[in-house]
Amino acid sequence: SMAPGALLLEAQREYEKESQKADEYLREIKDQNLLSEAVRQCIEAAGYEHEQEVGGSGAASFGKCFLDKFPPESFVRTCRDLRVLNAIWDYQIGIPLTFAQYKQLTIEVLLDRLVLRRLYPLAIRICEYLRLSEFQGVSRILAHWACYKVQQKDKSDEEVAHAINQKLGDTPGISYSEIAARAYDCGRTELAIKLLEYEPRSGEQVPLLLKMKKSQLALNKAIESGDTDLVYTVVLHLKNELNRGTFFMTLQKQPVALSLYRQFCKHQELETLKDLYNQDDDHQELGNFHVHSSYSSEKRIEGRVAALQNAVDEYYKAKNEFAAKATEDQIKLLRMQRRLQDDLDKPYVDYSLHDTVYGLILDGNHKRAEHLYRDFRVPDKRFWWLKIGALAEREDWEEMEKFSKSKKSPIGYLPFVEICMKHHNRHEARKYAARVTPEQRVKAHILVGYVAADAAIEHKNETEMNLVLSKCTAATDSSVAEKINRAKAQSLKK
Amino acid sequence: MLLCLFLPQLPGKKDLFIEADLMSPLDRIANVSILKQHDVDKLYKVENKPIVSTSDQLCFLVRPRITNMKYVADIVNADKATGRSRKYKIIFSPQKFYTCELVLEEEGIYGDVTCDEWAFYLLPLDDDLLSMELPEFFRDYFLEGDQRWISTVARALQLLNSLFGPFTNTYGIGRCAKMVYEVWRELVEESEGDSQARRPEISHVFLMDRDVDYVTALCSQVVYEGLVDDTFRIKCGSVDFGPDVTSSDRSFKVLLNAQDKVFSEIRNEHFSNVFGFLSQKARNLQTQYDRRRGMDIKQIKNFVSQELKGLKQEHRLLSLHIGACESIMKKKTKQDFQELLKTEHSLLEGFDIRESTSYIEEHIDRQVSPSESLRLMCLLSVTENGLIPKDYRSLKTQYLQSYGPEHLLTFHNLKRIGLLTEQAPGETLTAVESKVSKLVTDRAAGKLTDAFNSLARKSNFRGISKKLGLIPRVDGEYNLKVPRDMAYVFSGAYVPLSCKIIEQVLERQGWLGLEEVVRLLNGNEFAPTEPVTEENPARETQRVILAVFLGGCTFSEISALRFLGKEKGYKFIFLTTAITSSARLMDAMLEAKV
Repeated sequence: SMAPGALLLEAQREYEKESQKADEYLREIKDQNLLSEAVRQCIEAAGYEHEQEVGGSGAASFGKCFLDKFPPESFVRTCRDLRVLNAIWDYQIGIPLTFAQYKQLTIEVLLDRLVLRRLYPLAIRICEYLRLSEFQGVSRILAHWACYKVQQKDKSDEEVAHAINQKLGDTPGISYSEIAARAYDCGRTELAIKLLEYEPRSGEQVPLLLKMKKSQLALNKAIESGDTDLVYTVVLHLKNELNRGTFFMTLQKQPVALSLYRQFCKHQELETLKDLYNQDDDHQELGNFHVHSSYSSEKRIEGRVAALQNAVDEYYKAKNEFAAKATEDQIKLLRMQRRLQDDLDKPYVDYSLHDTVYGLILDGNHKRAEHLYRDFRVPDKRFWWLKIGALAEREDWEEMEKFSKSKKSPIGYLPFVEICMKHHNRHEARKYAARVTPEQRVKAHILVGYVAADAAIEHKNETEMNLVLSKCTAATDSSVAEKINRAKAQSLKK
Repeated sequence: MLLCLFLPQLPGKKDLFIEADLMSPLDRIANVSILKQHDVDKLYKVENKPIVSTSDQLCFLVRPRITNMKYVADIVNADKATGRSRKYKIIFSPQKFYTCELVLEEEGIYGDVTCDEWAFYLLPLDDDLLSMELPEFFRDYFLEGDQRWISTVARALQLLNSLFGPFTNTYGIGRCAKMVYEVWRELVEESEGDSQARRPEISHVFLMDRDVDYVTALCSQVVYEGLVDDTFRIKCGSVDFGPDVTSSDRSFKVLLNAQDKVFSEIRNEHFSNVFGFLSQKARNLQTQYDRRRGMDIKQIKNFVSQELKGLKQEHRLLSLHIGACESIMKKKTKQDFQELLKTEHSLLEGFDIRESTSYIEEHIDRQVSPSESLRLMCLLSVTENGLIPKDYRSLKTQYLQSYGPEHLLTFHNLKRIGLLTEQAPGETLTAVESKVSKLVTDRAAGKLTDAFNSLARKSNFRGISKKLGLIPRVDGEYNLKVPRDMAYVFSGAYVPLSCKIIEQVLERQGWLGLEEVVRLLNGNEFAPTEPVTEENPARETQRVILAVFLGGCTFSEISALRFLGKEKGYKFIFLTTAITSSARLMDAMLEAKV
């Protein structure tokens, strides 16, 4: 044959023989500019010569030396493929594929066949040799191997699990849960659980664990995953699987799951929520539960009172005296408000104590207000604040004055001044300004619009003097300003 | 926009029902006309009343909550009862939860609806601020011990990691932070291989639980942006300025971010400087307007076409912010703001506790504001490591008298979360610690023991404050115009604890030397085993740090860290589950009165 490839092969043979003919052949190819074509042909031919495969690739490699820019990929690829074919032609393997068959079949299928024949080591070595990505190469084969391994009944669970982990380590793309699923299919539950331990993604462990009816373990894993959806899946699975008592007990041991389930119950199953608290003897939460229902689900006063009464009982059991007392007060208040509502034909229910008393004063029901004030031990200060506020709002200045004189005000008289001014009654405000303590007098005087210089000077307080000074306008108060500046200078000297 | 992928799946005219919480975020990214393009006929808010829609197709955009499922179920079942047939689609944002499906199933409508997820994790509120807009995170996790949002946060983190990472140095403190970190690491491992060998834009991450530092969140904010938030409530980066601000009969919705030239200059300033700044700005603006006098025709033409619009815009913003300032001043002086701040400062410093307690009592008695009173009580409790039993009882009684008995449940919640507790006589720190450690080592409880928040964590604020020097020594007046440390965000009285921790850890590249603080903070800290130092410090690249707040962060904290960044040459990017404030924290503790 005079094809360039044939010539090249001839040249190489002569070269081996150390004959100068090699050069002649080579020159001939080169003159025709066919050297790269020749190399290409040799590479291709190499794939098809079974027995003397070294010839073709040898010639190609020889010819390549005389080329500057021959792309090496095809050469390398063919060499690799040949190596692979060589390996499977080995008598111990015995897969006599031709190059064409091999190309047709693709490497993936070949690997599958090897796996089917359980020729795992060879398959892995081929993967490594061909530098296939771990994901489609080594990992896949290892997974197959492991799936086969779990079927070996003669080895103990520990041994198998250990062997698998030794081999697989944390190779990327390996799914321990799949292997475990296979083990479970073969009836080796314990092994499956052991294998799952190696699964780094907790989320993957859960479905199988549930399938294997290892729900407790599944719950642990779900919680570890931090995926609440997963936890819910397991919890609701448990709910159907276990009887109520055991279900609650299980939750008890899992605070995370318990709190999630409570969330769910809060919206969906209020009664279950109550049962849950009951089971825990969580009287505090039960109390809260009743308080909540007293204003969300109960509409009638009797119903609300009953709910609150339940709450009181629970709070006492929880030794939360404060809450119990507060709730008792609320019952008392509700009843009272109902009576007020009936008597006065105005809405009182659902107002706070403060607002109720305020409302009563605003309507001039001073007696009833007093009654509530005493009955609920409203602190004096609060009562005074709210009373003068309400009186001012109804502009009952007479009553306010009477009240101010009823006894010594626990909040002082500045608030009287303030509230009067707020309602634009300077006249009334001035009455109280006179009764304000010296410390607050300046403030009071400023409020009602007196020139407060004298008070400030008398009080010998510099900040107050400055305050007055800042209120002075140059046009009208220059004499006052002067007076203060003098006093300031004086106090500085001292 | 992703949402637009779902709407066509329900071809033809449809009505869209949106949960209130999702309205503002949606507003930021889509307007009505986009929705109309997708055949959305009418928009409704999801609320607790019967619907009036006549459309044959209903689409619901909701958070994955059980109540929402019941809402949908009620609608579907009502339709069934009247023999009406419609198509229903539920879009969950950011993801669907198993419980939702379960409820749909229990309500018997699982087959009647189709579901989808709108994986909307991050809303950029500003150049340096990303919000997950999950205000419920705080209550769900810290109060109810519900961990369902952990993976959501981890996913958001992974999203940022794949875009701007790889994050090489990850620090954090708090149980939740640790869990998020672990879940995130798993996500990274799963997706290993597609983000290798890139020069990270963000290399440092700091994760922090809100419960590491309640004190800062409970303080009144005095930095402009924080104050605006406290006063008007900023929603999704924009605020509604009412008639008292705009001095007209309309209210304006103003987007507050770095694009607003006036706002961006004052947002981080202490309030006392803002007025001066604004009036200076007004004067400058005037001079710029005045320049047009003495211009010839051509110059005027130039002025009108090029500058006038900008000036007008600035003018408008300026007058809005001045209006806001005035309104704030009016409100604050009415409540004797100075007095309030003084009380807060003494609580922080631990002086005059009796006096502060009576101040709070008066605050409650006079019904000044329910959430303010509650906040002050909490601040007292957290700084003092619990109230003494007498005060605990009397303040609560007063509060119930003022605001109604249902707050018994609020107090229970506050106790559970550790915001308002009673000093246990004789219970020493070590007793608590041994309880904690027992719980942590409990094998079954494993790494996630969080359902037990009831083990109210001790705040140990005094000890921490001393160790970290949170109360700056005062020598003379603190110059708020030229702040010298992060304390300026609280008038120089207190360095925010959360920010101080971040500063310290970044400086030390770990927790070394902070062991005592960590112990007082109840542990759960983590740091990279070997911090990756920048390979070439000479290259002058700015260190970018992602500060992640689980349970929300306040504008004051953001301002403080922005300041720290400027001082140290870092750049902070903030990722928070939501913007929070003392009022929002308190609201989260209320038990809904239906």
